[in-house]
Amino acid sequence: MSVDLQDNATPSRRDVLAGAGGLGAVASGWLLHRDAVAAAPSNTQAPHFPARAKRIVQIFCCGGVSHLDTFDHKPELAKLHGKELTNKGKLDPFFGRPGRLMKSPFAFKRHGRSGQWVSDLLPNLATCVDDICFIKSMVAKNNNHTPATFAANSGFTMNGFPSMGSWLSYGLGNVVDELPAFVVLPDPRGLPAGGSINWTAGFLPAAHQGTAFATKQGQAPIAALNTPTSIKPGTRKASFALLQRMNLQFADAHRGDSSIAARVRAYELAARMQLSVPAVVDLSKESKDTRDLYGVDDPANEGFGRNCLLARRLLERGVRFVQLFNGGAFGKVKGRRINWDGHEDVISNHKYQSQVMDRPVAGLLKDLKRRGMLDDTLVVWSTEFGRTPITQGVGSTGRDHHQHAYTCWLAGAGVKGGHTHGASDEVGYFAAESPVTTYDFHATVLHLLGLDHERLTYYHNGIMRRLTDVHGHVVGEVLT
Amino acid sequence: MRARTSFFALTALCATVLTNAAVRAAGEEPQLWSLQPVRQPEPPAVKDTGWPINPIDRFVLRRLESRGLKPSGSADQTTLIRRLTFDLIGLPPTPAEVDAFVNDKDPRAYDRLVDRLLASPHYGERWARHWLDCARFSESQGFERDKLRPNAWHYRDYVIRAFNENKPYDRFIIEQIAGDALTPVTADGIVATALLVCGAYDEVGAGQQSAVMKARVREEELEDIVSVVSQTFLGMTANCARCHDHKFAPISQVDYFRIKSVFEGVRHGERKIVDAAASKRHAATIAKLNAQLKPLQDRLAALNKTATQRVLAKQTPDKPETDRPLGPRPFAHWSFENGSTRDTVGQVHGELKGGAKIESGRLVLNGSSAFFQTSPLSKDIREKTLEAWVVLPTLNQGGGGAITLESGNGVTFDSIVYGERQPRKWMAGSDFFRRTNDLTAPQESTQGSQPNDAVHMAIVYGPDNAITVYRNGQPYAATYKKHQLQSYKAGDARVLLGKRHTGSARSHLNGQILSASLYDRPLSAGEVQASYKSAGRFLHVYPADLLAALTPQEQAEHKRLTERVAKLAQQLQAVPSPQPFTSYTGVRRQPPPTRLLDRGDVTKPRQVVSPGAMSVIGQPTPDFKLKPDAPEAQRRLALARWIAHHDNPLTARVMVNRVWHYHFGRGIVATPNDFGESGAKPTHPQLLDWLAAHFVESGWDVKALHKLIVTSAAYRQSSDHNDHAMQVDAGNTLVWRFKPRRLEGEAVRDAVLSVSGLLNKQMGGPSFRPFDVVVNNTHFYHVKDKPGPQFDRRTIYRINVSSGKDPLLDVLDCPDPSVKAPLRRSTTTPRASLMLMNGPFMQRQFKAFAKRVTDEANGDQAKAVDLAFRYAIARRPTDMERRTINAFLERESFEHLCWVILNMTEFVYVR
Repeated sequence: MSVDLQDNATPSRRDVLAGAGGLGAVASGWLLHRDAVAAAPSNTQAPHFPARAKRIVQIFCCGGVSHLDTFDHKPELAKLHGKELTNKGKLDPFFGRPGRLMKSPFAFKRHGRSGQWVSDLLPNLATCVDDICFIKSMVAKNNNHTPATFAANSGFTMNGFPSMGSWLSYGLGNVVDELPAFVVLPDPRGLPAGGSINWTAGFLPAAHQGTAFATKQGQAPIAALNTPTSIKPGTRKASFALLQRMNLQFADAHRGDSSIAARVRAYELAARMQLSVPAVVDLSKESKDTRDLYGVDDPANEGFGRNCLLARRLLERGVRFVQLFNGGAFGKVKGRRINWDGHEDVISNHKYQSQVMDRPVAGLLKDLKRRGMLDDTLVVWSTEFGRTPITQGVGSTGRDHHQHAYTCWLAGAGVKGGHTHGASDEVGYFAAESPVTTYDFHATVLHLLGLDHERLTYYHNGIMRRLTDVHGHVVGEVLT
Repeated sequence: MRARTSFFALTALCATVLTNAAVRAAGEEPQLWSLQPVRQPEPPAVKDTGWPINPIDRFVLRRLESRGLKPSGSADQTTLIRRLTFDLIGLPPTPAEVDAFVNDKDPRAYDRLVDRLLASPHYGERWARHWLDCARFSESQGFERDKLRPNAWHYRDYVIRAFNENKPYDRFIIEQIAGDALTPVTADGIVATALLVCGAYDEVGAGQQSAVMKARVREEELEDIVSVVSQTFLGMTANCARCHDHKFAPISQVDYFRIKSVFEGVRHGERKIVDAAASKRHAATIAKLNAQLKPLQDRLAALNKTATQRVLAKQTPDKPETDRPLGPRPFAHWSFENGSTRDTVGQVHGELKGGAKIESGRLVLNGSSAFFQTSPLSKDIREKTLEAWVVLPTLNQGGGGAITLESGNGVTFDSIVYGERQPRKWMAGSDFFRRTNDLTAPQESTQGSQPNDAVHMAIVYGPDNAITVYRNGQPYAATYKKHQLQSYKAGDARVLLGKRHTGSARSHLNGQILSASLYDRPLSAGEVQASYKSAGRFLHVYPADLLAALTPQEQAEHKRLTERVAKLAQQLQAVPSPQPFTSYTGVRRQPPPTRLLDRGDVTKPRQVVSPGAMSVIGQPTPDFKLKPDAPEAQRRLALARWIAHHDNPLTARVMVNRVWHYHFGRGIVATPNDFGESGAKPTHPQLLDWLAAHFVESGWDVKALHKLIVTSAAYRQSSDHNDHAMQVDAGNTLVWRFKPRRLEGEAVRDAVLSVSGLLNKQMGGPSFRPFDVVVNNTHFYHVKDKPGPQFDRRTIYRINVSSGKDPLLDVLDCPDPSVKAPLRRSTTTPRASLMLMNGPFMQRQFKAFAKRVTDEANGDQAKAVDLAFRYAIARRPTDMERRTINAFLERESFEHLCWVILNMTEFVYVR
C-alpha cells in the first residue's frame, strides 16, 4: 500500500486543482491569454474505468417513503389486514408501539410494457416505469431520521464524513469551471434532517463541498454572488483590474507556489460565475410545454417543479452531480408535515407528498429522455428508510420508521429499465431476496460513474477512508 | 443482510498490511519508530557552522547539506515581524510595532519581540484555536436536532487560559482527561474534562426506544471519546481497533476495550460547578478586610459611646405629661415621620419599592408589590430582635412579612410573618422554615385601618438559638429552639418591611406599618413589654448631636474613622462572590465492568476486560492494576498519568510535532494525529527526538518550545523561490525556506477586523451568536452578518455550531466543529473569492478600513495609501505600486483601494 501523504501535508497539487486548475505556469500570461485559458476545462480527472454515466441527479425524499404504499405491492398484507404481526422476532419500531398489520389504502396497478406495480398515488411516475429499475430489498443502517439520512448521503451515521457528491467531485473533478461540480437544491419548504451536514465535504478539501443554491424565489442562488448595487460596474471593473494586477505581481514573485497563482485564476472564475449562475437559474426562456411537464407553475408542488427543471439546466451546463431534496426535516406548511414521515396518518401524508413529488420527477425523467440526456445521465431516487407494515399503535393509520426493507430506484445511464431487483418478504418487513445495503447502493452508483468504490480513497487521521467504509458490493444485476 | 456487510469483507487495501501484525508479543521490542523510547541525540556536526543559531538548525542543516542544498537567507525584518505576529497571536502587527522592531538595532531585538508576543493575551487565543481543532470543540449537539450548547464555552476559555499561563503540558493533559479526579478539585479541573464530551452527541439516538440501537449509539459515543484522547495526545488511531485488531497501529481489539473501559463512566451533559478554591479565596479576602475593619469599628463605637453618654446626660425625656415609659434604644428605627424613609437612629436608611407609600407617617403597603428596603447593615448581626407596629385591613391574607432581616441574595432571612403556614397566625418566618415552628397561639382578631387598630409584634432571637414571639408585649407562644441562628453580614444583609424576602415573588403584606425597629441584641421580656408600652418612644441621639458632643480632636478622629470604615465596607461589598456555574463537561456514572464486543457488535458481549492502556508500550506500564469495577475516576486518572508520564514515547513527540506543524505549515511528521504505520514517517527523526527530550526536560514548557523554534535560523529563512532546491524538494520537507501559506479562515477574519479598526478585543465569556435561531424540534440557525461590537470579536469567540457555520469561514476551510482537524486544508476556490469580494461582512469592513486610515492620515492621500498598506501587509508600497495606485485614485475613491487591499493575496498570506 502506498499512501500519498503529500496530499495532506500542505496545500497540495490536488487542493489547488480542486478549485482553480493548476495555472501556476499560466498565471503571468493571464492578462494576454485569458480567453484561451477560459476555454480549457480545468481539472476533469479520468475515472477508474469507462463510465456509463457522465452526470447524476438524485432525488432524495426526506422522512422515509412507505415502500408499501408506493412501489412494493403486497397482496398478502391485504389478507392479513388488522392481524398481529408474528414470526418476525422482536418488533422494533422507532416509537416502540407496534400496532396491527395494515394493507395499503392505495390501489396498485401494473404499468408499462414491463408491467411493474405502482400505486395510484403516483400516476405520472407510473408512466415512466419502463425506464426505471426498482430495488425493493434496500436495508437501512438506522431507523432514526438524521443518522439514516447521513448514512444515505455519506455512508456513515455520524457527522463529518464526506457526502457522495463530494466524493464524486473529488474523484472526477469539474466539467466546467464556472459552475460547481456538486450542486444541492434543497426543498424550498425546508432543509433535510441534519441540514448542510448532508452535503459536507467532511475531511475532503472544502472545494468538494456541495454548493446549496437558495431555492426560495427572489433569493440570489449563491451567497455573495452579486456585486452589491452600491458599487458601480465601472468601479468594480477598475478595482478588479487593480486587484488582479497586484495578485499577479505577487504570484510572479512566488513562482514556486502554485496556490498563489491559483488565486488569480479563482478571482477570474468568480467573475465568470457572476454571469453564468444567474443565466442558469433563469427559467424564463423555457417553453410553456417544458414548464408544464414539470408543473413549474402549479402551486401544488410547492416549488419542487422549479427545482427539478433547474436541475436539468444545471446538468446540461456541465454540473456533475445535482442533488434534489424532496421535503425537509421539520416544520409545517398549511398544517402539514413537509416530508414523508407519516406517523399519524400515512394516507393524508403520502397523498400530499406524492402530489408534490410525482409530476416534477416524472417530468424530469421525460425531459431528460426527449433530449437524449437519459443515455448518459443517472437518475437516483431514494429515501432514508421505509415504513412499517404495521400501524404505529393499535387503531391508527400511521406507519412508523422501518429499516429492514424499503425501496429505491435508479434510471438512465447504464441501468436496466423496466426491471426490479430484490424483494421484500410477504408483508414487506424484511428484505427477503438479494438485500442491498447503503454501501452496495453507493458502490453501484460510483461504478456507473466509472469509479471503483474500493479505490476512491482519501487518507484521514490514520485511515484510508472510503464512501463505503470497509463494505459494499456493486449490484451487477441492475446494470445493462 | 449482515452477510454482505461483514467486517471480514476486508478490502485489498486493508489486507495488504495485515502482515504487519504489530501487536507486541511478550518481551519483544515494538517495531514502530514512534514507540521506541525517546533518546536525546547530540546535534550533528555541520559544514556551514556560521548558519545555526540553536541546535534545531544543526539538525536541519545536516539534512540539507546531505542533499546538496543550502538554506535560504534570513527574511527581512518587516516580513519576519508579520510572520511571527500572525504565528504567535494570529493578528497582524500594527505599523507602530513594525517601526519599533525595524528600528531596534539591539541584537536581542528579535528575542524581545518573541517574548512580547508570547506574553500577549492574544497568544492564548491563537493557540487555543489550534487546540480546539484537535479537540473537535463543538457548541451544538450535531445530529438531528443540533441543539445549542450555551455553556460549552468554559472549556474554550480554559484552553485559552492554559496557553496564556503556560500551564505545563503534562498538567494540561491530566486535567483534560481527569481534572475532576484530582485533589483538590478545582473548577478548572472539572471544566477541562469537557475535552471528552465536546464532540457531537446523538441525543435522539441515545433516548430512543430500541435498547440495541441505544447501545450502538453509546458505543459510537465512546469511540468518539477514545479517539479524541488517543489521537490528540498519542497520535494513535486507537478507535480503529473497535471491531478488529488495528491494521495500521499496534493496538489490539482488547486494547481498545481496555481504553474504552477507562471512559465508560463518562456521559454527555451539563454539570453545575461550584468553585471550591474560589470560595476559599473569597472567604479569605472577606476575613482579611473584616480584620482591618474590626479595630476601627471598635474605636468608633467607643467614641460614639462617649458622645452618647455626653448627649444623654444633657437630655431629659420629652413630654413628661405622658406616663408612657421609655423603651430600649433600637439599632435601627423607622417611624416614617414627615414622609421620611430614613433610619432615625442609625444609618440603615430605606427606600420605597413597588408602589409603597408613606401617608400620615405610616408605611402603606398594597399587598401585591409594595415594600420597603434598606441599604446594607454596617455590622454583623446574629442575635437580635425584630419589632413592628402593624395594621391589618384584612385578616384573610397570608405569607406577608412585617419586618425582615435578609441576606443580600434574598435567600436567607428571618421575618415576622403573618398567616403563611397557619391561617391568621403570626410566626417567625425563615428560609426553608429552618427557624420556623407552627405556634400554639390564638388567631389574630384585630383588624382595621387606623393607628388604634395596630398590633405590636416582636420576635426575639436569643442566646442558645431560642426564639420567642411576642404580641402586644406578651409572649405569643412558648419559646422554642430549632436551628442555629443565622449570621447576617455587614455590607450584605438588609431590612425589608412589608415583604417576607426578596427571593419570593408572593410574600407581600397588605396593611400599614406605623413604625419598625431592629435591635442588634435580644431584648428581655421586660424590655419588649416596655417597648410596647412606650409606643415607639425612646431616647433619640442624632448623629449631628453626637459629633457636636465631641472635642475637635475627637471629631477629626471620628471623621477619619468613619471614612475608613465606609471605604472598607465598600471594598467588602465589592468582593465578587464566587457563583456556581453550569458547563457542558459531561456527567459521570459508575459503569458495570466492560466486556469486549465481538467485532464491535453490541449483541455479542465476550470476556470482561480491565481498564488499561496500549499493551505494546512497556514503559510506562500499561497495566493500571485496576479491577474491572474500579471507580471510574480512578481509571481516568490512571490513563491520564500514563499518557503524561515522561517515559511515554508518544506524548512529547506528538506535541512538539504539533507545535512545529503550526509554525512551519508542515510537521516533522506530516500526519500530526497519526504516528502509526499508516502515518507519515518523520522527515527529521533525530530533530523530533531532540525536541521531545528537550521539551520533557524543560518541564513540558510550551512557551519555551515556541521560543526555541521561532528563534532558530530555520524559522527565520525567507520564502524566496530557488529553482535548484525546488527540483530537489518541491514540498520543502527539508526546510530549505519558509513556505508561504494562506492564513486560516479565523485569522483572515481577525486580520480584517484588526486592520479595519473594528476588532473588539474583549476576551472570554459566552460566545457571540451571529444568527437567528428557530427551534422546531431541530435548531435551525439562520446565519447573518450582524454589525456591532459584540459580533466584531475574535473568531474564536464565535459560537461553533455544526449547522450554523459562517459562510466566509466555511469557504476558507474552517472545519466542521465535530471533526478532529489536526491540519487545515487551504483550498483556492471561486466561491471564496466571491465571499471576499461581495460578502456583507467584507463590504462593511473595507469601508471601515478606509475611514480609519483616512482619519489617521488627516485626509492626506499619499499618507493614507502608505498607512493602508502598512496596516494590511506591514510594508509600504513600492514606487511602481504607488504610481499605479495614484492613477487608480484619480478615478476611484479611496474606499475601493481598501477593497483591493483586503482582497490581495499578500494580505491573506504569510510568507
